[in-house]
Amino acid sequence: MFGLRPAFPGGVRLPAVERHDSDALIRQMAFASLLRLPLRQHAGAASVAVVQPGDEVMRGQLLARAEADTAVPLHAPATGRVVRISAQPDGDGAAVGVIELAPAAGDTQEEITGRPLDPARCSPDELLRAIGDAGLVGLGGEAGSTHERLVRARAGGARVVVINGIEGEPGQARVPALLLRHGPDVIQGLRMVLRVLQTERSLLAVESHDGEAAGKLVQTVGADCGLTLRVLPPRYPQGAAGLLLRSLASNGADLNRAEAVVFSLATIAEIGRLLSRGWVMTDQLLTLSGDGLDKPGNYRVPLGTPIAFALAEAGARGDVERVLLGGPMRGKAVAGLERPIVKATTGLVAVAAGSAAGVPEPMACIRCGDCVTACPVQLHPAELGLLARRGENEAMFTDWYLDRCIECGCCSYVCPSHIPLVQMFRAARLQQRRLQRLAGEEVPA
Amino acid sequence: MMPSSHLLSLRGAPHLHADSAVPRLMLHSVIALLPVSVFAVFLFGLAALATVAVAILACLLAERVCGPRSALGDGSAILTGLLLGLSLPPALPLWMVAFGAFVAVAVGKHLFGGLGGPAFHPVLVGRVFLQAAFPSAMAQAWVAPLAAGRATELPATSLALPFLTPDAPYDGISGATPLSALKAGEAGEPLLSLWLGTVSGSVGETSALLLLLGGLYLVYRRVIDWRIPAALLGSVALFSAVLHAIDPERFPAMMTALGSGALMLGAWFLATDPGISPTTRRGAWLYGLAIGLLVVVIRQFSGQAEGVMYALLLGSALTPHIDRWTRPKPLSEGVEE
Repeated sequence: MFGLRPAFPGGVRLPAVERHDSDALIRQMAFASLLRLPLRQHAGAASVAVVQPGDEVMRGQLLARAEADTAVPLHAPATGRVVRISAQPDGDGAAVGVIELAPAAGDTQEEITGRPLDPARCSPDELLRAIGDAGLVGLGGEAGSTHERLVRARAGGARVVVINGIEGEPGQARVPALLLRHGPDVIQGLRMVLRVLQTERSLLAVESHDGEAAGKLVQTVGADCGLTLRVLPPRYPQGAAGLLLRSLASNGADLNRAEAVVFSLATIAEIGRLLSRGWVMTDQLLTLSGDGLDKPGNYRVPLGTPIAFALAEAGARGDVERVLLGGPMRGKAVAGLERPIVKATTGLVAVAAGSAAGVPEPMACIRCGDCVTACPVQLHPAELGLLARRGENEAMFTDWYLDRCIECGCCSYVCPSHIPLVQMFRAARLQQRRLQRLAGEEVPA
Repeated sequence: MMPSSHLLSLRGAPHLHADSAVPRLMLHSVIALLPVSVFAVFLFGLAALATVAVAILACLLAERVCGPRSALGDGSAILTGLLLGLSLPPALPLWMVAFGAFVAVAVGKHLFGGLGGPAFHPVLVGRVFLQAAFPSAMAQAWVAPLAAGRATELPATSLALPFLTPDAPYDGISGATPLSALKAGEAGEPLLSLWLGTVSGSVGETSALLLLLGGLYLVYRRVIDWRIPAALLGSVALFSAVLHAIDPERFPAMMTALGSGALMLGAWFLATDPGISPTTRRGAWLYGLAIGLLVVVIRQFSGQAEGVMYALLLGSALTPHIDRWTRPKPLSEGVEE
């Protein structure tokens, strides 16, 4: 398409994406009877609760405030009563506080209206503060504080805002919904980010299946804020920021990688949607997909909604065998359906029994090199796999650069012997981080 | 209603897999070899059929004896047997065929750790073993193509008893394959019959055209890396064209060099075996180039008529080194988001 080629090494061609009119649909999900709101829902420090059990709270009211730079404030997704604040284990075994909120009966989901902001009339600092106060995190999967990201980008002299309109996982359809239903929000959000960074250059990157929708948006509203469009041929994992910048740079985009800052389309749209109405982050736009659902599609899900409730709302059938947070390439299979949807959730997949049956037993490595060709960061998964099997974890890092693995899963995807390569690499990296932590080193979570 | 949490399956991501699996790779290779196998039976009759069948059976037996129980299902023993059978002279005593095939799998494969382990192609190990153990049989057990009665009777030598008939009376009439004729300074076969394959030679090596088609099928199915045969054949073409230009009397023309001997079988079906070829694309070019050069050198300047087997063995010995030279450099910048 347009003679453009994905210009990062490797990657895989997943089955082609077909877009339907229904992809632009966004359904509002009802409240569950109990919302569970962890004090840490993103990549960063936990926030500190400012409510007590028994408190009545209004939708949009502050529940926990951010004290560290990497923390974000948390707001009530619904008007209701704080039932309990408990400590529960998070994924890594550490304890994290959870606010349990019972929405009031008959709550209409009306948002408390704060002060709507107009990017043209606000100072950059005012906008930056509002982004922080809204509790926003990166919605493309990275899930760090958006406020902190912008502060760092400004200090680092970012000149070009790249909007990442590439779906992070197969099966997701957030991009068409955002482009077609939230076009004005995307433009508002972009104006705000441009104002914060005091720059005017921006670029929207999408894959060819979303080229038409993106073209419409850029033509109708994007032209007057200097937004240009780049349509790239599909290739997984092109949505990874570093790879996207590579693809853009070598496809002729006038782009200095050091000057670019990448935000996901969902983040930009959410900045615009919330700030221009004076709202705060209380829900999450998610694609619920998979063959275990009768009503798959895009849903706006209140934060804290239990996964079981969200799946039931999307018509989950009785034969759901596996539930993935995120998507099928990188998504973690969840162990407990009572776990809540949080700010870091990017999607939900319900896999029906049978469709994933017969995962073949791994066979010996035949040294075909398919994984080497597929690795987008040019590691040597086959060699790393042999080392992992022998338990030589040290060499995986010192000689074969496992620290640069982005865990995209391409190696496991292509392996004809069905060797669980990325699965072994994740385990080795986890162990490495724990050892470093035991040795007293600073290790990002 | 939804199942309760304790029934959920917790396998790690990715939860998708490309449509590829080892048994399917083997199946495609066998399919690619079908035309040339059928042609071989047409050309050499019962002798070809028996050679291939015995080779496959002996490989399966060795796999069963030496390998894990599950290994029979992956199809690799069948492919090894088929390839070995196709690379042998048609009138070779069948007990030698069985012996060589057993050695190919037992020694060439399982002594090196089984599937994915061997540094040298098991088929080549089997063939080298036969060449070393029974040099006169390997050099003489040719039969004339399209011989009368080929459909009903085996050559007398095929049924020779093990070790009891050391100097079996080989069918002398077609003692010369095109390459050995060239080596001896005689006139070669016409180019057309050389490419069609209506000449004397190993069971499945005569028809360059059908082997080429099979190879292209494997490229289309993405079973093999096209760079390896491209580099290998290109290299043979280049070096033989240069030699032919220097001395047309002594060195065969490029198309003759490309169409004869084990070259096509070796380039498309043996050199491309993932276990013995380099893992990177740059490495594939180097590897093919080196083997092509070796083929021409051995054919033209050694006492051997055919050099593909030794060139492939030397080429796979280079593989670990090529892999080290062409090891990919990881991207330097972070790619988080």
